[in-house]
Amino acid sequence: MSWHDPGRRRRAYGAVAVTALFGSPLLLLLAGSLREPGQPPVVAPPLIPEDPGFAAYHQAITHGDLVRAAANSMIVAAVGVPLSLLVASLAGFALTQLPRRLASAVIGLSVLAMMVPATALLLPRFVLFRTLHLTDTLVPLIAPALIATSPLYPLIYYLAFRAIPADSYDLCRLADLTPMQTWRRMALPQVQPVTAGLAALTFALTWSNLLDPLVYLYDRATFTLPLALRALAAMDPHNQPVFLAGAVLTTLPTLLVIGVAQRRFMHSYGPEGAP
Amino acid sequence: MNRDRRQLVLMLMPYLVGLVVLVLLPAAATMAMAFTETDLIATSRFLGAANFVELTTDPAVQAAVGNSLSYLMFSVPLRLVIAVGLALLLHRRARGSGTARAAVLLPGAVPELAYGLMWLWLLNPIQGPVNQFLLLGGEGGRTALGTLPPQWLTDPEDARAGIVLMSLFTIGETFVIVLTARLALPPEAYELAELEGARAGQVLRRVTLPLLAPVLAVLVLRDTLMSLQASFVPTLVVTNGGPPPYATTYLSLVLYQDAFEYLRYGYAAAVAALMLGLTAVAVLIQWRLLRRWASHGIVGAGAQRPGN
Repeated sequence: MSWHDPGRRRRAYGAVAVTALFGSPLLLLLAGSLREPGQPPVVAPPLIPEDPGFAAYHQAITHGDLVRAAANSMIVAAVGVPLSLLVASLAGFALTQLPRRLASAVIGLSVLAMMVPATALLLPRFVLFRTLHLTDTLVPLIAPALIATSPLYPLIYYLAFRAIPADSYDLCRLADLTPMQTWRRMALPQVQPVTAGLAALTFALTWSNLLDPLVYLYDRATFTLPLALRALAAMDPHNQPVFLAGAVLTTLPTLLVIGVAQRRFMHSYGPEGAP
Repeated sequence: MNRDRRQLVLMLMPYLVGLVVLVLLPAAATMAMAFTETDLIATSRFLGAANFVELTTDPAVQAAVGNSLSYLMFSVPLRLVIAVGLALLLHRRARGSGTARAAVLLPGAVPELAYGLMWLWLLNPIQGPVNQFLLLGGEGGRTALGTLPPQWLTDPEDARAGIVLMSLFTIGETFVIVLTARLALPPEAYELAELEGARAGQVLRRVTLPLLAPVLAVLVLRDTLMSLQASFVPTLVVTNGGPPPYATTYLSLVLYQDAFEYLRYGYAAAVAALMLGLTAVAVLIQWRLLRRWASHGIVGAGAQRPGN
């Protein structure tokens, strides 16, 4: 690997530069949120606030009613994310066992479903949920769990389950396990890193969903966090520290979940390292 | 055996029901609605192709098609090049590479709306950190090169560039996929190149990129599909489609406004049909390009890898 060695130091510098570049937006967001709220706008304020404090956070939480919104978001995530993973893993597993022709048809439909723009589906879904009197409830926000949040995720499970050696499936067949038992006892434990990764992605998508609440929710009591944050930013668009503080608060849970999940799925390929 | 088959169908059922009720039927309904005038109050009226005729003369739609295409042309290739570059830079163990990998994932982890609000602040022409950074070393409100800093939210070109810039930081998912694909490449391919004394640039061109080609092709396809929608939240939050009249109005925003602000559902459905059509055309073009590459052996080289 002779051409690798002189690059070692360069790569370390590169890693530092990448960290700085991709970390800076979030650091600037944090710095902006620590400034004193309600000050008149100044040209080129210092990047690091002179008198950092949490006043903006206090205002964001009280003016934006963020506690109630966070509770709503948590209900949606607590029901929707496990349900979504269940749907995805059951479907992905069934696809590996069902006849090939049926499986390819479902996979084809899933790819087609990924092509359809989300905004194009809003109208008929809106009519559907309004007819069922489910607007202004959290049900329409949980409903996408039925398509596993993204039709991509059953396909990822399908690939993961297919990668399990055929011997394992044969053993289960010999033990006369039903497909359901095979899924729960043998297959699911083997794809834990996939589940961890998809759990994080599903949570991130569910937590950040703005489009659906925007269309289905009008009653402030049902607002989820992104919608409440939008209302907060619209209320006083020039009071930047306040909505930046709201943005930080909205971001924290996702970072936490990804951080926890990352230990499981990043390390599944980390130690093998490079050739 | 029959019992097993029944159980498997049951396991697939929730997803199939979801797919039909939440995606396929609504998509069909949208297509049907495109030929009507519907406002959900009066009964809808069949219009024939009138909505589609109106599309061709609507200035918002015309601007949005151009904007969406320009977003596609800049954002998709740039995102891929950056993600591949970062994956190749960070795939080897080096001091700080683990931290750098995590940092690349960070911006994508910010919820869309919070991300939009963050850029609304970053791109603020007077107080925003981006322009403060660009003004470093310059004098009298000019950059070090003596040019005026970009007016991100008020100049049409700069606003469009700002929307693309926002998209370049959320490449975490693409980056992870390329990184895993690179780590999975067989070391033998590189040993051979080393024996032949190939230089880094040649290794990249002759070994790495051809072997990654199938993954990259899928990623380009996916990014293209998503790009028509990806610009929605940023434009809604950061620019609201402006500066006026339509500098950063993209098709998804036109659809949303027609449907939920002007309550013209039938016409909005026609916009949706247009988006679907454009997506289909983009997919078709890329699919043909892929097939041509495959017949020249570029993509095929990766597909013949053992274990694939």
